[in-house]
Amino acid sequence: MQEFNYYRPVTITELKENLSQPGTRILAGGTDIVPKMRQGKFFASILVDTSGVKAMRFIEDQGSEIVLGALTTHQEAADSALLKNINPALVTAAESIGCQQTRCRGTLGGNIANASPAADTIPPLLIFDATLLLQSLGGDRRIPLEKFILGPGETDLQEGEFIHSISFKPLIGSWGSAFIKVGKRSGMAVSVVNTAVAVELNDKGKISDVRIALGSVAPTVIRCRKVEQSLMGKEPEPSLMKEIHAACQEEISPITDIRSTEEYRDHAAAVIIQRGLESAVEQAVGRGR
Amino acid sequence: MKEITVVFLLNGKKTSITSLPNRTLLDVLRTDLGCTGAKDACGGEGECGACTVILNGKPVNSCMIFIGQVEDHQITTIEGLMEKGEYHRLQKAFVDTGAVQCGFCTPGAILTAKALLDENPHPTDLEIREGLSGNLCRCTGYNKMIDAIHLAEQRGLDD
Amino acid sequence: MTDKYTTVGKSLHRKDAWEKTTGKALYTADIPVENVRVGLIIRSPHHFAKILEIDKKSSLDIPGVLAVLTSDDIPGAKEFGPLISDQPSLARDVVRHLGEPVVLIIGETKQAAEKAADQIQISYDPLTPVFDPVQAAKEDAPQLHMDGNVITELNICDGDIEEGFQDAEHILEDTYNLPRIHPGYMEPETSLAVWGDDQTITVWVSSQHPFTDQGFIAAALDLPVGNVRVKSGVIGGAFGGKEDSSLSILTALGAWAIKGAVRLVNTRRESFLAHPKRHPAQIHYKLGARSDGTFTALQAKVHMDTGAYASYGPAVAAILTETLAGSYRIPNVQVETQVVYTNSPLSGAMRGFGSPQSHFAVESMVDSMAEEIGMDPVQIRRVNILKVGEKMFTGVVLNETATALPICLEKAQHAMDRFQAVEASPGKKAGVGIALAAQSMGLGAHVPDDSTHRLEWSPDGKVLIHLGSPDLGQGLAMAVEQITAEALGLPYNQVESLPLDTLDRPNGNTTCASRMTYMVGNALIDASEKLIEDLLSRAGDILELPAGKLIYKEGQIIKEDGTTLPVVEFLGRLAEDSILLTSESTFSFPYPEETTPQDLPIGMPHVLYCFGAQVARVEVDPDLGTVEVTHFAAIHDVGKVISQSGVEGQIEGGVATGLGYALYETMLNKDDQWVDSFTEYLLPTSKDLPIHYENIILEIPEASGPYGAKGIGEIPLVPTAPAVANAVKNAIGVRVKNLPITPERILGFID
Repeated sequence: MQEFNYYRPVTITELKENLSQPGTRILAGGTDIVPKMRQGKFFASILVDTSGVKAMRFIEDQGSEIVLGALTTHQEAADSALLKNINPALVTAAESIGCQQTRCRGTLGGNIANASPAADTIPPLLIFDATLLLQSLGGDRRIPLEKFILGPGETDLQEGEFIHSISFKPLIGSWGSAFIKVGKRSGMAVSVVNTAVAVELNDKGKISDVRIALGSVAPTVIRCRKVEQSLMGKEPEPSLMKEIHAACQEEISPITDIRSTEEYRDHAAAVIIQRGLESAVEQAVGRGR
Repeated sequence: MKEITVVFLLNGKKTSITSLPNRTLLDVLRTDLGCTGAKDACGGEGECGACTVILNGKPVNSCMIFIGQVEDHQITTIEGLMEKGEYHRLQKAFVDTGAVQCGFCTPGAILTAKALLDENPHPTDLEIREGLSGNLCRCTGYNKMIDAIHLAEQRGLDD
Repeated sequence: MTDKYTTVGKSLHRKDAWEKTTGKALYTADIPVENVRVGLIIRSPHHFAKILEIDKKSSLDIPGVLAVLTSDDIPGAKEFGPLISDQPSLARDVVRHLGEPVVLIIGETKQAAEKAADQIQISYDPLTPVFDPVQAAKEDAPQLHMDGNVITELNICDGDIEEGFQDAEHILEDTYNLPRIHPGYMEPETSLAVWGDDQTITVWVSSQHPFTDQGFIAAALDLPVGNVRVKSGVIGGAFGGKEDSSLSILTALGAWAIKGAVRLVNTRRESFLAHPKRHPAQIHYKLGARSDGTFTALQAKVHMDTGAYASYGPAVAAILTETLAGSYRIPNVQVETQVVYTNSPLSGAMRGFGSPQSHFAVESMVDSMAEEIGMDPVQIRRVNILKVGEKMFTGVVLNETATALPICLEKAQHAMDRFQAVEASPGKKAGVGIALAAQSMGLGAHVPDDSTHRLEWSPDGKVLIHLGSPDLGQGLAMAVEQITAEALGLPYNQVESLPLDTLDRPNGNTTCASRMTYMVGNALIDASEKLIEDLLSRAGDILELPAGKLIYKEGQIIKEDGTTLPVVEFLGRLAEDSILLTSESTFSFPYPEETTPQDLPIGMPHVLYCFGAQVARVEVDPDLGTVEVTHFAAIHDVGKVISQSGVEGQIEGGVATGLGYALYETMLNKDDQWVDSFTEYLLPTSKDLPIHYENIILEIPEASGPYGAKGIGEIPLVPTAPAVANAVKNAIGVRVKNLPITPERILGFID
């Protein structure tokens, strides 16, 4: 295991100060970072442990926005009645990650910062156009989640910065959201391909808004805007599957790796988008009544 | 690399450890604190649950927690489960149902089960399977562990 | 169930279970020893390479580094191996697989050893590796060992296959590919060695064969065997993979080098790379049958990849070959099996030992033939299963326990009917599949197989079993304590097994091959009888009565007049004269000359078989190709249940392992690296096992078994994968011939 010096701030002010030093990196739950450090894939000369900063663990309805503290654990997200109501895809995703032990430690902020293309919480946040509040001693800035993630394991996080919270606006009207994941086994399942879908229906029952995010089919989780465009104004029905598949192929670039093949991911992506859409539409119809 | 001092409750007892910060909770428990019940079966990747301890009521993989992170926390290890020389109902149930074979996964599984029952005293089969899914076992096929948890649940009702 | 037995047949507490639930059980990594030093192994980064130079000079100056050892430093035998002595303890001149041990560093601390590892320069000349056993068998393939790459070639025939195929109205041919899988024990390989006075050494091992380890360690250190004492720590699972002395030899070497104490604990990665796996195999299988379903001929060619070193390859080949006709009557057979070296991590013993591979082929092919002919899969099996007195193609005659086969089929049929009646979940396709299994017991004819154990009746009344074979965690100790308690008419809690120690326990031989309850049980029943005889004789002396006038029953000696005297009284009196009441018995695995074919290579045939059947119900997602096993029935004949919970536990755990083989597990080579962690090597979790599960345990007494008992250790994972493959075929019409059955294979995206 690498050597590092260790800070444990308990307030946000302390955290900002700690991170203003050069060579610092952030530790939250540790479920990604500790194994990576052991494997020599993550380096820090100073490790700043944020897990004690209680002020960053919250789930709040701030009226126009839902705000989630970056240190909210996956288990807390999974158990949140508020989130179940406002973004059920995020709850399904959080429930599906790893196992009890890792869900109790892994955080929403950590999952975002780790920026894996297979991350499960990122698609449900992307479909809600989530933004991040980044803070540092030098000041705050907001950035859309979609712009924050630059590549596999790469983000726009600057030196001295940390993710304070994630916000998104709830959907209104006849809307629904769903998350579907294909894993290689049922327990402790890493995504082979995953999707989050949100849909809004107009009063004629046609799709007036649709957001689709796919994971594990590109270097980052992506919004499938071509697929979204192809669905706008349409009646949600099974024949849409062909359109989804065709549009999807244009935007995704899955690879063959130890877990699965390019062809399977290509095929499965379209299947789960269609299923996600069905599920989201069912919810939307329910809300519309 | 500067040493740090960490103070926490271990099995109800206030414990202070001075250590290099790059050591995991698992390593400190096993090497410095005589708690060898927690095991390393997967190389510290959080894939097996054999290192499970209870941290503030939640089951966690101690192999993925740096020692500094438990400052002010409450930790229960398998060594702390017996009370006044009496076996915990889960320990008894695991033995009674034959859920213990090689035993390497047993401490982790029992602690996961304890955390589960403490939060959800009447879990369904599916909830138990979900709860145990982070504890790998190659010997038992999990059936008798699930029986044991139900048995412990029943006995908890009778208490 | 009947019960004329007091202890045998019951579900009792394992005596070691309590300490396992409290964390007090001492596995080899937990044993506290003063001043124990850390061992670290530098392993080959190449699949195949010449070692040009090992420069360790600068590492020796690092503070805290106590020894840096290469092959040159080994005082005795530099190679070892259970069948062929081909495996260097530390690589010499050449490395043959990724992860092979090259240098052993002993440090005061892990940090010191790691610093030394950074300083050591090893220069290699990489060679072109070969991973495919078919390629490796060719003349022009890279040669791994001096005598070529092919280590075993079996050609076992019966009848006339040409005639057999002429007689067939249907002929099917298929190729099945079985992957490399890891035994998956939770406790990685661990060893602890302490150098003693007078050139002695004590080594704790997590091993299936401590006496074998003792021999190899003595040879490597050039010590008399008697100077090496091997003790068994609590073992965290083995499943065949711990029939391997490599780590314990290195640990002992380290302790010898520093004349101190050394502990080596493998990481999971090291376990994947350098310790035995299940043999990958490619099986070409051609079956002929008549339209009434009768099998007429079988021709098979098998290529087994044993990896860089032979380990138990030839022995696995024997069982794989012998079981390729499964439980069926096939009058004309030819099986050619080849075991080949490749630059893959070595394969050796793993639970099932060739039988899971062979049964995937035979049980898949039998279903395929049923479909071809238009017969029900249970019916085609009914037509062809061997009967009592009939011969397997090896010439082995099945004894009266073969009546298990039709009973297994009948119960399997009932389970199939029950499972078929369950409606498929919305959007899913459901299917049910069956497979039969015949698993051999024993090491094979002409392989010496003696198991010796001792009983000691201590003055306090406890009977101590000096168990000569280790309990791997499966519950061997509990089973033999139940047998001994029954034989002596004593309560279970009055009998206790002692931990294994080569210093003062007899050699019970390796714990393996589905034969432990059988052999140890028989030895202890005999030892119990001897103990009673000795007791009565000595009691007679004390009472001045002829032994024939005394009877022993349930801890009491009964005189003719009916008065009873507790045995403890006599034991006390004997103890006063420093007499300890003990008995010893050796059981040799029976290969009666009259019924054991003598014309086969050494280690063949195996003459005693366990039988079983399994039925799986799966639901397949037709668009995603994912498979869920929803219902499962495991039907197994064990002869006689010794421990009810023990037998159930073995079956349930075996089925879980079988499901892993069927659906999830494979050690692929991707981008030139082997899968080497549980992140990518997927063992079944509690969510991956069927919610609806049934154990159906049959007891068809084996006349030669202790209370009629047979083996159960391996068979539960033998029919599982083909049962699942057959169920998947039934569900969506796709026959997957390569394991694991992944969605990509089901949908045809990969072979």
